[in-house]
Amino acid sequence: MSSDKDQALAVSASKGDAEAFSQLVRGHSRLVYRVAIRILGPQDAPDASQEVWVRVWRNIGNFRGDSAFSTWLYRITVNTCLSVRRKESRRKEREYAGEELPFLPEPPGGDADPEAAALGAGQREEIQAALGQVRAEHRAALVLRHMEGLSYAEIASILDVPDGTAKGWVSRGRAAMLVALAGESAE
Amino acid sequence: MTPADERRWELLEKIGAYAAGELEDEEAREVEQLIFERPDYRRLAESYSRMLVMLSTLGNEPVEAPEVTVGYAVRRAYVSAFLRGAEDFIGALGLSYLDALVVYLGLRQEGYKQFS
Repeated sequence: MSSDKDQALAVSASKGDAEAFSQLVRGHSRLVYRVAIRILGPQDAPDASQEVWVRVWRNIGNFRGDSAFSTWLYRITVNTCLSVRRKESRRKEREYAGEELPFLPEPPGGDADPEAAALGAGQREEIQAALGQVRAEHRAALVLRHMEGLSYAEIASILDVPDGTAKGWVSRGRAAMLVALAGESAE
Repeated sequence: MTPADERRWELLEKIGAYAAGELEDEEAREVEQLIFERPDYRRLAESYSRMLVMLSTLGNEPVEAPEVTVGYAVRRAYVSAFLRGAEDFIGALGLSYLDALVVYLGLRQEGYKQFS
């Protein structure tokens, strides 16, 4: 969906046009659900996605078009997911004592094997479980960078932090993720 | 976290940034040197690369939002828009009746503003 079209639909939706809003939902539901599932896991993602769209409808009048609609939507999605996580007891990031470096096992055919790039169900579960062990803010930054492919400037804008903080969170999330994933693979 | 732990995390993060291709020339060369000298660091960089491929592969897989989620959001917006419209209509109707009552009772004087 083009940015101009999004902008026009958002303006109509802010005036109470439910059809325009419905087009925005259908055009961007994948983005919202994808980010929610990565940050929260498959169990909490449906409820969080619904909550995102309730917040979008309620706040669409605040969208002024300074940034792309998708950036604004990412911001609401990530904030909603983080607020879901804050309601839960604070999870502790898996500790890295540093005695042993975290290694991932090499795939049977080696890294060059194209089949190694395809993920099995077991690996998907391991990745999701490992993501769950990374601190929520670091996880959100990691997902936006390495799964959504966003730039640091975009991540900083979405998370409403300086560029350096966004970079630090991605870096910390990447290391914590490797520690967690190595632990998952070893189990 | 002890200073030794901090240093270990720093190294871990640095090799991660190298594997992600995010280090500038000089820093990248430093890490390359470390990787060249220590096979365990090379293995660590390879593990990072493997993890980044896994993340990006998973990130590129198509994900469809459940229809129930999309349907709920759309229905809710339609109901909310309807209620908003009904509220405006009832409000306007009420003000018109009030206006009519004021006129009927002869309470309006020259220069008075209407309610609606």
